[in-house]
Amino acid sequence: MQHRTANTRPSSRLVSALASIVLLALMTPCCVFGADTTVQVMLDSSKANPRTIEALTGRSLLRDYKFAWANLAQALETGSPAPLSGLFAGTARTWLNDEVGSQARSGLTTRYRNQSHKLEAVFYAPEGDVIELHDTADYDLQILDGSKTIHEEHVVVRYVVLMTPGADRWVVRQLQSVPHF
Amino acid sequence: MSSSISTVWAGPSVRRGALIIVLLLTAISYAQIGDLRAPSDAIAGEPASISASGGSAATLYLVGPSIATKRDVKLEGQIRLAAQELQSAGRYIATVCADACRSVAFFVEPSKPVHLTFLMHPSRAPVGENDVLSGVALPFDEFRNLVLSPATVDFQLKVKDAALMNHGASTQDGIAWFRTNSGRSAGVLQVVASINDVSELRVVQQVASEPCSLRIKGQRSPKGILVQTDPVRDCGGNPVPDGTVVTFTAKGDGQISTVDAPIKQGVARAQMTASGPVAISAASGVVMGNELRVGVQ
Amino acid sequence: MNRALPIVLVVLTALLMVVGLSGAGRSAGTVGIASGSALPGFAEKADTPEQSLGSFLSDIQRRNWDRAFSEVEKTNGSVDEASFIQEWMGANGGLRAFSNLERYEARPLHATDSEAQMRVRLQWTTPVGPVEDVRDFRLVHAAGQWKVVWDQSPAPNVPAQVIPVNYLRWDLVPGSGGDEWGSRNVDSPHVRIVSMNAVGSGDGSVVMGEIVNEDTIPAFVNVNATLVDASGNAIDDESSFDRIVHVLLPKQVSPYRVDFSRVPLNKVKSVRMDVKAALVPASSDPVIGVMNQKLDTDVQGGTVLRGDLLNESGQTVNIPHVIVSFYDNGGKVVWVSDGYVERALLPQSSEPFAVEIPKSLAGKVQNFHVVVNQYSLGRS
Repeated sequence: MQHRTANTRPSSRLVSALASIVLLALMTPCCVFGADTTVQVMLDSSKANPRTIEALTGRSLLRDYKFAWANLAQALETGSPAPLSGLFAGTARTWLNDEVGSQARSGLTTRYRNQSHKLEAVFYAPEGDVIELHDTADYDLQILDGSKTIHEEHVVVRYVVLMTPGADRWVVRQLQSVPHF
Repeated sequence: MSSSISTVWAGPSVRRGALIIVLLLTAISYAQIGDLRAPSDAIAGEPASISASGGSAATLYLVGPSIATKRDVKLEGQIRLAAQELQSAGRYIATVCADACRSVAFFVEPSKPVHLTFLMHPSRAPVGENDVLSGVALPFDEFRNLVLSPATVDFQLKVKDAALMNHGASTQDGIAWFRTNSGRSAGVLQVVASINDVSELRVVQQVASEPCSLRIKGQRSPKGILVQTDPVRDCGGNPVPDGTVVTFTAKGDGQISTVDAPIKQGVARAQMTASGPVAISAASGVVMGNELRVGVQ
Repeated sequence: MNRALPIVLVVLTALLMVVGLSGAGRSAGTVGIASGSALPGFAEKADTPEQSLGSFLSDIQRRNWDRAFSEVEKTNGSVDEASFIQEWMGANGGLRAFSNLERYEARPLHATDSEAQMRVRLQWTTPVGPVEDVRDFRLVHAAGQWKVVWDQSPAPNVPAQVIPVNYLRWDLVPGSGGDEWGSRNVDSPHVRIVSMNAVGSGDGSVVMGEIVNEDTIPAFVNVNATLVDASGNAIDDESSFDRIVHVLLPKQVSPYRVDFSRVPLNKVKSVRMDVKAALVPASSDPVIGVMNQKLDTDVQGGTVLRGDLLNESGQTVNIPHVIVSFYDNGGKVVWVSDGYVERALLPQSSEPFAVEIPKSLAGKVQNFHVVVNQYSLGRS
């Protein structure tokens, strides 16, 4: 009997612990987010017209677009527009700067993870001064308010991208998401 | 331990209590945020609404291409989104949080085009060449969103006031472009791209090709020999642009004298110092002129 | 001991000062070669041509014009102190006006009891780097001492006149479209490297050639070269700096030369050239003719290209800079030399120039092309 009495208090604690575990399990996020710097990019340049994309240009585009997205993610995650410098120009730069600033004021953070971009070149100007790409981007998106996650999803987003040649790289001038191409 | 566990599961009241708590909490959270519906056909720069029910106070988060805000709202039917919040076209996520969070995604479309970005190349084109001129036009709305719905851009080429070409091109994926030949005469070519009431002007200099023939003449002067070219033209008769350098070379008496003189009003002139007999020639680019022999002073 | 030590130190210091100021302890280098300088009031009496010349040049170095002019023997009635000072100090914003005589080395050429000739290498520090000038001085022994003969006639005055300026000028119109994408689209000038030749020079390498402005507008050009090794790695990269005519008018050709002082040619597998061309406002004035060009031998036995620069415009050219391409009999650029003219080029007047050709290449040179770069104060 004494044994049974002694076991009653630990059992109530155990109940509470189990209840907490159940509750927590219901609220546990589905994905685990850790540091992620990988961005996968593929380019299909077969439909570029009126000018065809040279091999070197294609490699530069891939490299610079990948770098742009990696830095975009970093800027939005860290809340600093510095990573955007030199990689974005014009409207794209303005929008991203505004978003980073707006996030900072609101205490929000956005995270892009596991990015995969399938690019298709649809227009390359005769003089080579602008290229339009269609990007089918696949990534995990998480939005946080402080340390609290308010939204997360795995999503496929389509972007219309305009890139122009800069001094030593291609820069993203327009990055506009669209419901369909 | 095992006896403790068996004691726990042996208690039906405890199990029931935990389950009730869980269900209650879940029910409470879903009761606070009811239906959440995104706006349909949102246009950049125009206000929109998210329909939301639940009756309770909540926090609205709006994340879009150029915005990330939060504010307190009441879930009483419609949550208004101001025009300034929806200026950039693209995908938005509206999240409403009370004890739990719910999100909807929606797209904002560009409004009508009021700006035209017009890229024209080259700035200077040789006359009489095929497909040497090209122009690319991109329509943007008031908020710099690329207008992707098809629109017709008119391209017009004029020399002085005479129209040389009129070409309408429909935008595809937000871009309209054209390519054409340069004219036969040197001079300023005006190229206008227009859509609705918006137009952009660019200027192309049509320039003469290489000089076709270079003829020089000279005469002795108190300071030496004054040499000048005949009017320098290309093979099409177009005057070679002023400023083009003509190199005059005088050889005589074991010495060489050179002057790089720019063409001015179609003619290049130079003064060479030489007292003895000299042979003077001229060259510009890859073209050489006649040779002039001037005797002793 | 306490009192003796300071006294000894003071006396020793005074002795050393006297020795130093009198110049007796000066390391004068090789016997017979006057060099360096002496402080005023302590100059030696000009008992020898070397001493006379040394004293004269040290006054020049310290810009002691009155004293220097008083020491010379004037054989020409038109010589005056103003023109003497102008000869040494420069005028009209010429390169000499911004230069200092850093050092000099004199060697006797020949000497008798009454006359001597000495050759002096003058080293000037200038804004464009060190410049060496070699001059021969004649000295005469008169009134018990040696004196430098100064018979340099002043440069002829440019007569007052009105010269119409009718050369072209190009201005850039930026457009009123602000920073709108595409509103400031004016193509950069088209320039092209027409030749490139990499040679070994001393312990390093030199890349040289010619560049042409193929466009119809002026171009500001600069040429960079990167040396690449056999593995494809860049060893070094350099720019042409001032060994190029930076503002090229339409169809104008300029030599260029890029020096790599520390990279031997045998380490280089290939050279990557990079040309930058930018739009600039420019003027086609002044037109400078290069007259009477010929290969010659200078006083030191080296091969030089001499000539005269003739300013055919109405503006003073403060610092003319001559750049020359030398070609072999196949038309290949075998060397690019340059030299600054220390005197300003006045309107409608001429100045001589001379640029050196390396001894090893002098025999290969069959032809040459001279261009004149110019820097003018207060003008773009």
